[in-house]
Amino acid sequence: MNKAEYKDMWVYIEHDGTEIRKVSLELLCEARKLCDAAGEKLAAVLVGELPESEVQKILECGAEKLIRVSGAGLERFSVDAYTELFTQLCRKYKPSAVLVGGTIDGRDFAPRFACRLPTGCTSDATQLVYDPKTGDIEFIEPAVGGKMMAVITVPFVRPQVGTIRPGTFKYVPGGARGCETIEERFDFPIEKIRTRALSFRADEYDESLNIADAEVIVCVGNGLKGADALPRYRELAVLLGGKLGCTRPVFDRGVLPYKLVIGQSGVVVKPKLYLAFGVSGAVNHVTGITDSDTIVAVNRDPEAAIFGYCTYGIVGDMDEVCDAMIAQLKARA
Amino acid sequence: MLNILVCVKQVPDVNLVKIDPVTGSLIRKGVPAILNPLDANALEAAVRVKERVGGTVTVITMGPDQAEEALRECLAAGADRAVLLSDRAFANADTLATSYVIVTAARLLGEFDLIFCGKESLDGATGQMASQLAERFDASQLSSVLSLPEIDEEDKTVTAERELAGGVETAQALMPCLMTVEKANYRPRIPNLKSWKASRRAEILRYNSATIPGLDPAQIGDPGSPTKVPRTYPPEKGAGGEMIRTGSAAKDVEALLGRIADKL
Repeated sequence: MNKAEYKDMWVYIEHDGTEIRKVSLELLCEARKLCDAAGEKLAAVLVGELPESEVQKILECGAEKLIRVSGAGLERFSVDAYTELFTQLCRKYKPSAVLVGGTIDGRDFAPRFACRLPTGCTSDATQLVYDPKTGDIEFIEPAVGGKMMAVITVPFVRPQVGTIRPGTFKYVPGGARGCETIEERFDFPIEKIRTRALSFRADEYDESLNIADAEVIVCVGNGLKGADALPRYRELAVLLGGKLGCTRPVFDRGVLPYKLVIGQSGVVVKPKLYLAFGVSGAVNHVTGITDSDTIVAVNRDPEAAIFGYCTYGIVGDMDEVCDAMIAQLKARA
Repeated sequence: MLNILVCVKQVPDVNLVKIDPVTGSLIRKGVPAILNPLDANALEAAVRVKERVGGTVTVITMGPDQAEEALRECLAAGADRAVLLSDRAFANADTLATSYVIVTAARLLGEFDLIFCGKESLDGATGQMASQLAERFDASQLSSVLSLPEIDEEDKTVTAERELAGGVETAQALMPCLMTVEKANYRPRIPNLKSWKASRRAEILRYNSATIPGLDPAQIGDPGSPTKVPRTYPPEKGAGGEMIRTGSAAKDVEALLGRIADKL
């Protein structure tokens, strides 16, 4: 394969017909930087109809090409249709990279079209770096539970496919640059779509599980002794007018629900005050809290990595510190 | 009679893995290898479907010889037969090469109606295997399946609840269908002593690169893997903040509350 034949970096625009998913805009902004470094063009791939005001957002991120796809069988997302669509588009236009939001749908179809092409697919990179020596993108991601960082490349094949989690990069549009629109017609036989949604039941809204915009978060990590130790952290969260969250291992232990997991494989948060109790500071978690104003870390291990990221640190027993905090906050009130 | 396949992986318990501070490499020594936790949920779904509608459950893995232990765990928990794909030539495979070996070998065992996978592994955690296995099996795909699927053998369909952002979708797919399981509304069983003992004696089917007919050497192991890992390094340590050390928890907290007073 001659890599030089493959040009342009693509971002898949995921949307619901009215609004673009923010992760797609985040990826456009990040890919814009890669394109500038690589001297390549940024292209957005948009399937289906979308209001012009939303299309404008794509242009504001500096897309130079907009591939607008219409056709039968694409009205709703399906793995079958979108896998074939992206396989065909990649064969026709030969992009150097395709970035897809790491949403449920994105994670379903991106590895699949990569397999069909075939090419390499990476997931969950937290940094993207263009290497001018090789012309490859370095997909840098936490590995082994965040204990190390791994650099992943796709050195011999194109396109380089990557799914990236929402919230990993920032949506900061750098301005329109003039964009060429390419209309693409693609029909997928409806009888070849093998899955269909029968019904959807929205979750009952539970405000305590909505932590993304909380101003204060009390987060418990794997240092938590067990579910019995949990009530004090809930109480502290209430006293501070905040919400309870946790790290991935706490969810793995079955103590708290997945919606409360903070970090790369969960929710990215940006509170004014973030209190981490018994959190080791694995990079998967830390990537989800770096935009917090103030980070307080409490851990029994003075070497815990979390102390490297905190504003204030206390070495000690998490329960004891939490109890002292509750007592003093109550005394102040 | 359904033919059901469960794809599993033996993983190091990453919560116990340490990193050599000098070389930055993994210290695997002394770290227990376990069945990937989400794979236990996938197996349970498969076994319950079998118990309800009849069929056989085959469990397959690619890995070193000791991955046999994970397979025996699956046999104890209700799998009928177990397949180990082990060869040095399979090493350093990414998801593309791994899915190629698994599906090429699985096709020797028959046509599968249902394939179950854990959503992702504890160690690699790319979450890509399922999609690539589905592609190579030419199967339909339902991810994040929460409930035990309903099977309609006449219509060749499977219906299940999936957990999506903000709610639960009921979806239907044509068989063959690959389903991924993350959390589930059922718990994996704990094998009784009898099934545990039987699993110790059970025969494991073994294949290597020479005994899987037609296996293309260019598509396995490192040569068959388009993604490479040129280097790894320990995560950068943050610069660190102010450590509050007064000697007592109560005084530490007092000092802290003074510093964050404007946030309270």
